[in-house]
Amino acid sequence: MSKPEFIYTTYIETTPEKLWLALTDGDFTERYWFGHRVASAWEIGSPYKFSKQDKTTIAGKVLTFEPPKRLSYTWDNQKPDLAHERSSRVTFDIEPRGKVVKLTVTHDNLDDGGKTFSDISGGWPMVLASLKSLLETGQPLPPMSSPAA
Amino acid sequence: MRKPEFIYVTYIETTPEQLWEALTSSKFTRRYWFDTEVRSNWKVGSPFALVMGDKTTDTGAILEADPPWRLSYSFKHQWFEEMRNEPATRVVFTIEPHGGIVKLTVTHEGFIEGSKLLGAVSRGWPAILSGLKSLLETGKVFAIPPAALGIEQFN
Repeated sequence: MSKPEFIYTTYIETTPEKLWLALTDGDFTERYWFGHRVASAWEIGSPYKFSKQDKTTIAGKVLTFEPPKRLSYTWDNQKPDLAHERSSRVTFDIEPRGKVVKLTVTHDNLDDGGKTFSDISGGWPMVLASLKSLLETGQPLPPMSSPAA
Repeated sequence: MRKPEFIYVTYIETTPEQLWEALTSSKFTRRYWFDTEVRSNWKVGSPFALVMGDKTTDTGAILEADPPWRLSYSFKHQWFEEMRNEPATRVVFTIEPHGGIVKLTVTHEGFIEGSKLLGAVSRGWPAILSGLKSLLETGKVFAIPPAALGIEQFN
């Protein structure tokens, strides 16, 4: 029986360092993550949050911080209807592959049949497509209605 | 129990027509699909083949063709020994307008339990579709070496 987890791989023409910055810098995330800014001290154990228009949307703590290769954090969506779902986990793995960078996002520790799973399964492809566009063309994708963060 | 299948969604700043052409014209596919040609007249029932250099890697038949919205073909692997005996699978491309851009969903299904082909296509599609998005948005694409995918037969 497979546990509910979401894995998405994309290849981006960029450097591991730029991709790392794009994942950890609020000015950057605001552009491709549909207005959501990330903020953290980025130390293992320290809190982080995404916020949009000063409202916290996602919060958690940093689990792994190995620039520019591996980042992971816990993930708690702050929507009231998701409060009963357990804290899940997001891991970003960054690997150089010739002139491109392979990014693998793994979202696991999800509740079986939970709403978080369906939300993030729809949300990650949008966020990661926009991230790739921003790094390759200088422009993110236009605003989309995102079910997740 | 989840079905053994591979689903990938991406969003591309392009038009449905351009995306359709990129999926069905070898002029495009050779640039983003490991130098692979797609051979078909894209009519329902017609044969379909993927040809890499002098090797026919996969064959099938067109199951649905509704340009520029939906394309599906059967997909039988022909190259690697340990995948050649697996039954034919099915690939479905769904193209939807999404705001000013296009949502592409690729579903590859019909695998047997424990399929080796599923492992290989799960590594291949993200690289192919990343290249497709780059090509349509920037006009260029950097080749990802097939050996970088971790598909052992490519090494």
